[in-house]
Amino acid sequence: MPDTRPVEQPEDGRVGVTVDGRAVRVPKGTLVLDAATQAGVHIPVYCAHPKMDPVAVCRMCLVKLSTSPKLQPACATVVSDGMAVETRAPEVVKEQEGVLEFLLLNHPLDCPVCDRGGECDLQDFTQRYGPPTSRFPITEKVHFNKALRLSDRIELDQERCILCWRCTRYYEEITGEKELVLQQRGVHTLVATFNGQPLTSEFQGNLPEVCPVGALTHVRYRFVSRPWDLQRTASICPECSYGCNLNVDSRDFEIKRFASRDNPLVDDMWLCDRGRYSFPRWNSTDRVRRPLVREARGGVPVAVTLAGAVAAAARQLAAVREERGPGAIAVLGSPESTNEELWLLRRLAREVLGTPHLDHQLERFAGLAPAEHDLGIAETEECRAVVVLGEEPEHRAPVLRLRLFKAETKRGVRVHRLPAGTAPAQAVEAVGTGPGLVGVIADETARAGAAEIAAALAAAGATVKRLTVTRGPNGRGAKDLGVTPGLDAGYRAAAEGMSGREILEAAAAGRVGALVMLNGAALAVDGDDRDLLERALASVAVLVAVESRPGPVAQSATVLIPGHSLMEKLGTITSCEGRVQRVRAALPPATATATETGVLSMLAGALGSTGWPSDPIAVHREIVTAVPAYAQAGNGGRALFRGAPA
Amino acid sequence: MSVLSAATRAEVERHRDRYPQARSAVLPSLWALQNQIGHVSPEGMREVSEILGLAPSEVEAVASFYAMYLDRPGGRHHVLVCVNVSCGLRGADDIVAHLERRLGCPSGGTSADGEFTWEHTVECLGACGGAPAMQVDHHFHENLTPERVDAVLEAVRAPSARAGGDRS
Repeated sequence: MPDTRPVEQPEDGRVGVTVDGRAVRVPKGTLVLDAATQAGVHIPVYCAHPKMDPVAVCRMCLVKLSTSPKLQPACATVVSDGMAVETRAPEVVKEQEGVLEFLLLNHPLDCPVCDRGGECDLQDFTQRYGPPTSRFPITEKVHFNKALRLSDRIELDQERCILCWRCTRYYEEITGEKELVLQQRGVHTLVATFNGQPLTSEFQGNLPEVCPVGALTHVRYRFVSRPWDLQRTASICPECSYGCNLNVDSRDFEIKRFASRDNPLVDDMWLCDRGRYSFPRWNSTDRVRRPLVREARGGVPVAVTLAGAVAAAARQLAAVREERGPGAIAVLGSPESTNEELWLLRRLAREVLGTPHLDHQLERFAGLAPAEHDLGIAETEECRAVVVLGEEPEHRAPVLRLRLFKAETKRGVRVHRLPAGTAPAQAVEAVGTGPGLVGVIADETARAGAAEIAAALAAAGATVKRLTVTRGPNGRGAKDLGVTPGLDAGYRAAAEGMSGREILEAAAAGRVGALVMLNGAALAVDGDDRDLLERALASVAVLVAVESRPGPVAQSATVLIPGHSLMEKLGTITSCEGRVQRVRAALPPATATATETGVLSMLAGALGSTGWPSDPIAVHREIVTAVPAYAQAGNGGRALFRGAPA
Repeated sequence: MSVLSAATRAEVERHRDRYPQARSAVLPSLWALQNQIGHVSPEGMREVSEILGLAPSEVEAVASFYAMYLDRPGGRHHVLVCVNVSCGLRGADDIVAHLERRLGCPSGGTSADGEFTWEHTVECLGACGGAPAMQVDHHFHENLTPERVDAVLEAVRAPSARAGGDRS
């Protein structure tokens, strides 16, 4: 790569260049391509990718530089002071036409049936920069396999490939798995796997987005839609607590795909396959649609209006409170609810019903403190070393693995993957003593061990920050906002109450008079816990449930109010690092009733506490007033509770 | 069951240790593999990649780039005929036609008795001074005539010629 750095550097570390006559000042070391973008000039690229190192193989970005007698690749040339860049000089135009004519030499003319049609760089640049015709006869194209199934997720059309190397570099630089390589040579070169074996990466779904043309395609999106027929909604991946930003692309009220939406602080534009391909479950039509009331357990369910259901719920809850006291009522939220819903649920439990028995998960986390969520995801790149306890963190939040790989390979961070039960002394031995920022990452089952290791590392001189990978998309928000026993919003101490598991066990033993559940079916996922849930549901006299999915909770409820899925409503959720991000309605709701915040507001009113906000925006305003960390986080920032009571 | 013999394995390890980067040892290691089993098989490439500490895909990418690594089993002997300028001017076409007749298969094929795989798709063998030339199991044979080709093939085919065992 030509090094055109000037000998003398201006004092501010910036250099002045002109691009097509437009002057800009950019930091020294900036690539011509990025300087042009800053000047508002478009340079077409295929091989260049914002997250990968330059290779300059596609030759599409060649530009005329005042510093060089020959055209140079904008993607791999560094600017120098006083450089004049020309992107529309006659020789550049001629070269661009030539490159496109060659790229189209063996490219099939199947845009009308190609998944990428309408969002394809080869289509777009041919329109904008290409020659009007080709000198190569269509009958002499070299043919390859048009439908090579690389795995159950990815299909490769080898004829459409323009050999930009992005997918092979993705596997080398981003995941390190090296599954795809270029084989053969010259006109026969193709992208392939070793010995034709299937791809096994858990990050394959990024390949069709990395590919600038329609060569790598999603099996689950083949022949599904044109991009202009999709409705795009910016939201957050609902699959885990990592908080990857994504676009929900829907058509005819069905989600057709999840697409990445670059947030350099979180996902760095990569999604894991578990999250990306989880979209079909949100299209399920198996839903709770109408409010139902049973006047007694085992009674006949009667369809009622929402107002009727809310009145019945208030009546049943008030009766239990009258008869057995507020401590006989327990309230369960879930990590699949938004902050706004959890906030109103917390107010309902603590202010209206007056019960301390409030939780969003089964396990009790002793000594829960904000310090265990202090390390930011992007901050791992600034660490001297990072300790990952066990396989769970990267299993639960797979995109974390890509961030750690980047920290390791591009930032020189030492990543120590230690077994969950590692003794603190061993961790110190692995990391070494001395100052510097050291991250400790664990999942919720390894909280205690992580705390000990963090203390030992701090004693050995390091500045230690911890990140705990929470469960569910909003387990962190539930903890921040006090939907947890013994801790109120902002981690302030509150009256001690039962944990989720204790609530279910007490209910199964007949010691709970009434149970209020918000998205309760999300709580118990595996066999033993499901069993406990069903025993609790069978024993409790009053069960008020806001639930979106049919199942044991919906079947047992004495008052059932239809819920909205995370794809059907507005709100915020908080990722494991405390980032407060917006989810938005990508689908119309499956029920005509109010959303959860509206229902909770009505229920509070029916129980005598009026004037509650009912729409998520108003509820969020209430949260930021009451919880300063959420005011500081704003939209997309991190809620930090430094200095808050431990 | 390992594809690589102990000797081949030792040779690959020797190549690996000779270079600062293990990638540099891919080409000689692939030769070691091909010299042992006659071609570069997927299993063999996987074992080479394990010794070199590379992904198997990287080794296959290199192997597929070069025409002289065979990707499938061939005959016991490997014959390469040069058809480049010097050899072409000195009658390489006749040698190619003769081999095709004599071995009963086109370039790239293997004779029915499994003795010879031959091809003329290689570029200049660098033996212009003795054109026309061919390479049989890495040994050069120059100033060829159809009769001399027959003699070379017979000598290679004869068990006494194979007794030496070293084909590299």
